[in-house]
Amino acid sequence: MISVRDRARGCLLGLAAGDALGAPAENLGPEEIAARWGVLTEIEGGGTDDTEYTIFAATVLLHHGHGLTSEDVARAWREEIVARLDGPMRGAGFSELGTVEALRRGLEPPLTGRWHAHGWSDGLAMRAAPYGIFAVGDPDEAARLAEADGRVSHTGEGILGGRAVAAAVAVAMTGAPPGEVAGAALRAVPEDSWTARSLRAALDVAARTPRPLSGRALHDSFGRALHDSFGRALHDSFGRALHDAVVMAHYPWTDLAPEAVALAIAAYVAGGGEVETSVVTAANLGRDADTTAAVAGALAGAGRGEAAVPERWAARIGPVAGRCLPVVAGRDIRDVADELVKGM
Amino acid sequence: MASGERLDRVRGAFAGLAAGDAAGWPAARHRSALLAGWSRRLRRELDAFAEEHQVTTLPVPFALNQPVAPLALGPSDDAEWLAWTALTIREDRAEAFGRLAGRGDVRARVSVWAALDNLAAGKRPPASGHDNPHHFDDAAAVRAVAFGAAGLDPGEDARVTNAEDGVLGAVATARAVAALTEGAAMAEAVEEALGALPAGTAIGHAAREALAAARAAGPPFAAVPALDAAVLDHVYSYGVAAAQTVPIALALADAAVSATGGTPEAFGAGVSAAACLAPVADSAPALTGALLGCAVGYDALPAAWRERVRTLAGCCLPELAGADLLDIAGRLA
Repeated sequence: MISVRDRARGCLLGLAAGDALGAPAENLGPEEIAARWGVLTEIEGGGTDDTEYTIFAATVLLHHGHGLTSEDVARAWREEIVARLDGPMRGAGFSELGTVEALRRGLEPPLTGRWHAHGWSDGLAMRAAPYGIFAVGDPDEAARLAEADGRVSHTGEGILGGRAVAAAVAVAMTGAPPGEVAGAALRAVPEDSWTARSLRAALDVAARTPRPLSGRALHDSFGRALHDSFGRALHDSFGRALHDAVVMAHYPWTDLAPEAVALAIAAYVAGGGEVETSVVTAANLGRDADTTAAVAGALAGAGRGEAAVPERWAARIGPVAGRCLPVVAGRDIRDVADELVKGM
Repeated sequence: MASGERLDRVRGAFAGLAAGDAAGWPAARHRSALLAGWSRRLRRELDAFAEEHQVTTLPVPFALNQPVAPLALGPSDDAEWLAWTALTIREDRAEAFGRLAGRGDVRARVSVWAALDNLAAGKRPPASGHDNPHHFDDAAAVRAVAFGAAGLDPGEDARVTNAEDGVLGAVATARAVAALTEGAAMAEAVEEALGALPAGTAIGHAAREALAAARAAGPPFAAVPALDAAVLDHVYSYGVAAAQTVPIALALADAAVSATGGTPEAFGAGVSAAACLAPVADSAPALTGALLGCAVGYDALPAAWRERVRTLAGCCLPELAGADLLDIAGRLA
């Protein structure tokens, strides 16, 4: 029996591990990753904005609980992010700087999320896992809380991406199988949305592709898979089919929420919900690899618990440096997980 | 109103858009697509050289051992997409765009390319315009000049390539052009456009901010810094976001008419000010030119500009090389 605390820790450690593993592969294509690493399985450096903004979102949520409003979140951004900036922002995406500039302009949500042109980014999806932990078993509430946060920095499909991840984590936290978790993500967004169409297309690919790079005791079998041309070819065809299904050909950036959330959840489903397989599959798909691997890791970690996160990865996850968000420097993601489920 | 005046206004909208299109600095970049591939590659290498060697001499597009006409002042992407719209305006919009999908010789904004890819993959409007990273750009607003001039609703066309602010920008532009084509004053046309832009949207908020900033600043050129501060966020130079270019066009057209009392001088005053806003110089001058050209009429435009912008280059849609924009506008009227 995996406890809620154990799942919460698994979720956020999985997220932090995916963030760190995927970071050097961000904005690369699957071919470039294969040429550089064969299969990227080992964490090289620290985590990035995904982990730090997740801690920030969790902190604001813990302060306000279920009563969290967009105005609370906007105030937190003003006091904890904007007021502390004495130079350029570091390690953030366009949506964060766009939001900071909108707040500096004096705008209020939801206009702060509409004013800049990156309202569809995956910046909310990357930090939405705490809402699913906090509202364990209640995907509607998790999605509602993520939306309250997202209205400050996002609009449209960016908010839907956050809703999908929060709802999926809420269900993964109950130990539900990956198919049910993916179903919760789909139910959290309108059927007639880009996120839903993208998710359905990606899940279709995951369903008709044999498990890529599979292995139960993966860090033993993975070394073999690495040199197993059959496994590599399988992953390549999976990756190509997924890219064809959800990646825009004529757009240079990789942080579109409908794309990133679809890649992440497809990797998690294809990985059978197993932490290492899911995270490695997502990271090796490239694109916004730190975010997609973080989301896949959050879902798989919530489902399998802390012990399922490979020890060699967990050992690399310490207190965050505050490189992106100085206000969270020194926080350990395990403590954040514990606080989110205190009293449950 | 005599039909002659109406024709003059429609021609004015088309030629005004083309003149603004030509006046913005990105026009030469678009037109340089007509130069040989090797010279464009060399330009990119010179760009890297300039960066590496810290030289401020800009490696602009150049012609070497080939015709120099593409680099002369002239219309580019916006004028061609407007002409294509006018030529296909009676057709089903998804079908008209569908014929472009899969072609290898078209140049277009991200929103249009994403829509063409979506159509080729079987997505229909409005998903083709919604599932689109640049659903907010002004590709449809530029095309909406043709719909406004013809007194038609631009919505169906806009939703093929755009959504939300991108569609609102098209509706606002078409409403303003339609009003001007019927002989309305600029102030009325601007109010018509504003009526299509809810205040809670980025484009609606920006339009009201831009008009207030320009009215406080006075003549168009004086309003340039205020518009830069009021509308542009300087985070990402998309340059063609409808929430930026449509508000700037409305504000500068309004300011130009106010400052000149609505004389033909309004055209040059508004367009040249828009061209000074470098981040949006790709299409804000074109949209400003369409509004002001429609207001003052073709015959009142500077003769040298009229002549210079009527022949299309074919830099985005090769079949339009040599096409006469004035003739195309006339057929629409």
